[in-house]
Amino acid sequence: MTMAATSHDTPVETAERPTRKQPDRTFWLLAPGALWMLLFLVAPILMMVYVSFWTQTTFKIEPTLTLKSWVTFFTSDTYLGALWTTVRIWLIVLVSTLLVGYPAALFVGLFVKNKTLSTALLVLCVIPFWTSFLIRVLAWRPMLGKEGAINMILMKIGVITQPIEVLLFSELSVIIGMTQIYCVFMVGPIAFMLGRIDPSVIEAAQDLGAGFWRIFRTIILPLSMPGVVVGAIFVSVMVLGEFATSAALSGRKVNLLGNIIVTQVGSLKWAFAAVAGVVLTILMGAVVAALLRVVDLRKEL
Amino acid sequence: MSAVLQLKNVHKAFAGVPALAGIDASLANDTYVSLLGPSGSGKTTLLRVIAGFEQPDSGEILFSSRRIDGVPPHERGIGFVFQNFALFPHLSVAENIAFGLTNRAVDPVTDAKVVAGRVRDIIGLVGLSGLEDRATTQISGGQKQRVALARTLVTEPSMVLLDEPLGALDANLRMRMRGELRTIRERCGVTFLHVTGSETEALAMGDTVLVLDAGRIAQSTDADTLYSRPASADVARFLNCYNIFPGAVSGDAFASPVGALALGGVKQTSGNPAYAIRYDRVAIRPTDAATADDEVRIEASFVASEYSGAAINSFFTLDDGRVFEVETHLSHAAPATYEEKGRYALVWKREDALVFV
Repeated sequence: MTMAATSHDTPVETAERPTRKQPDRTFWLLAPGALWMLLFLVAPILMMVYVSFWTQTTFKIEPTLTLKSWVTFFTSDTYLGALWTTVRIWLIVLVSTLLVGYPAALFVGLFVKNKTLSTALLVLCVIPFWTSFLIRVLAWRPMLGKEGAINMILMKIGVITQPIEVLLFSELSVIIGMTQIYCVFMVGPIAFMLGRIDPSVIEAAQDLGAGFWRIFRTIILPLSMPGVVVGAIFVSVMVLGEFATSAALSGRKVNLLGNIIVTQVGSLKWAFAAVAGVVLTILMGAVVAALLRVVDLRKEL
Repeated sequence: MSAVLQLKNVHKAFAGVPALAGIDASLANDTYVSLLGPSGSGKTTLLRVIAGFEQPDSGEILFSSRRIDGVPPHERGIGFVFQNFALFPHLSVAENIAFGLTNRAVDPVTDAKVVAGRVRDIIGLVGLSGLEDRATTQISGGQKQRVALARTLVTEPSMVLLDEPLGALDANLRMRMRGELRTIRERCGVTFLHVTGSETEALAMGDTVLVLDAGRIAQSTDADTLYSRPASADVARFLNCYNIFPGAVSGDAFASPVGALALGGVKQTSGNPAYAIRYDRVAIRPTDAATADDEVRIEASFVASEYSGAAINSFFTLDDGRVFEVETHLSHAAPATYEEKGRYALVWKREDALVFV
């Protein structure tokens, strides 16, 4: 009965339909996602901010509001040091993924003319992700260790007489590991943007008399900037939240904010973990906001 | 007139398939040259070889008497206007135009005032005043065309290659840009090589028209000669204004699938025997009308006619199924109406036909 009535009414209502039905559809399409985000993202973040002001004693935590955890965080050398290490490693990894990733993306996105081949090459970049994260990280140990592959080869060919110890369980090994793991997130977006450059635009620049480096600086780099920014956002968000790579490759010498959170949660210091969590969230927000200012993504994509 | 560009036996093949099979051509200085060819004839390849985006497999290219095959594109000094314009999407109109001046490897202009002055002059020349600061996404197709042209002309090339420059424009604009391109060229005094697949465009634009067929220059002459005296049956076919019969000359007639056609016109050697009669040289008469001694007559059934304003094109089927087209100019007579499937006599003067032997 209802069905019949609806289909009968349809032609009569067509005129007012678009204005009346549009908000309805928007609501139903957005509702599941919005609800999910509200329950599992916004609510926990608010909870985290709230918990960071709770009173923490050695064995229990009480919802009495206090600034004590915040004061401890910002007066302790250990925690401020972890904050600084996080920022430093993030910047170094960001630069190294860009330095390693951009040329690779340039090759895949621009110099490989065959679209099928360039897609295949991008898929190749993703193959390491078929293994688990932990294996990818731990695989660096036999590579970088004191009796690892690199030291053995260098000693065999006589470049060094003593193994280089700084290769593993140091900041260097964390940076090497993170660069390898996150590089592909830089390559993908840049290669995508480079692939969208019309080849005749580059030929036009050539025809107008510009050499390769000029064309790179004035045409290719500006046109690929949105890809660089998107890649940088991916890498930044992941590196800033990292704890596993530094735990596995630094021998606990490198403590990132992520490692602080893991340790504090492990010893049930919830208020303190919440403070570190809030600081990390604000840091990520600031980094993403700053990166978005570099390029107007809405305009460029 | 001195030659600005000479091509000597230029060959180019892609994966074994020849695209250019021995191009010989010489383009005069300060002329408008159009290059006509059907799709797949190698037009774009030829332009790209001249510009340096492709290297010829063999042969010589001389530009202002200097060999340029092997010279990279940015050192050739030949302008190229792309079919899709290829404007720099992140730069404004003025920045697009200034690009070549400031960024070229050879003799770049570093003085911002000089650049601004030359950009202003060229913007005036192509009629883009007032649009200097617009983004390239905020201008129309015709304006993009002008930016592409201005961007090339401002670098003062001795020659400009245009790859189907009017292909991306709508019909109205295309007609207007034809005239403008010619005017702009005259003001700059450089040679334009304009590639097109449209015979009307090639004839209207070119002081000289080159016809490219299967990787070779089939004919190189002025528009009038090309239209009335195509060098081969294939060239006549591209011009899209000739009825062409295959066959062979036997005695004083041409033996074609529709019977013997009396000879009397110009005979040309082209290697591929054919008999061609222009659409507008044919008269349509009732089958019982008399035929003069110097006329050729065949019979055909009327199919349909197409009205195109100043002329009307009538289509007939001949006895062997071949379609025959007649163009009647309406200024000569009021349009006659023909009966569908009716038999008519198609008559033309012997000397109007072109015979290729």
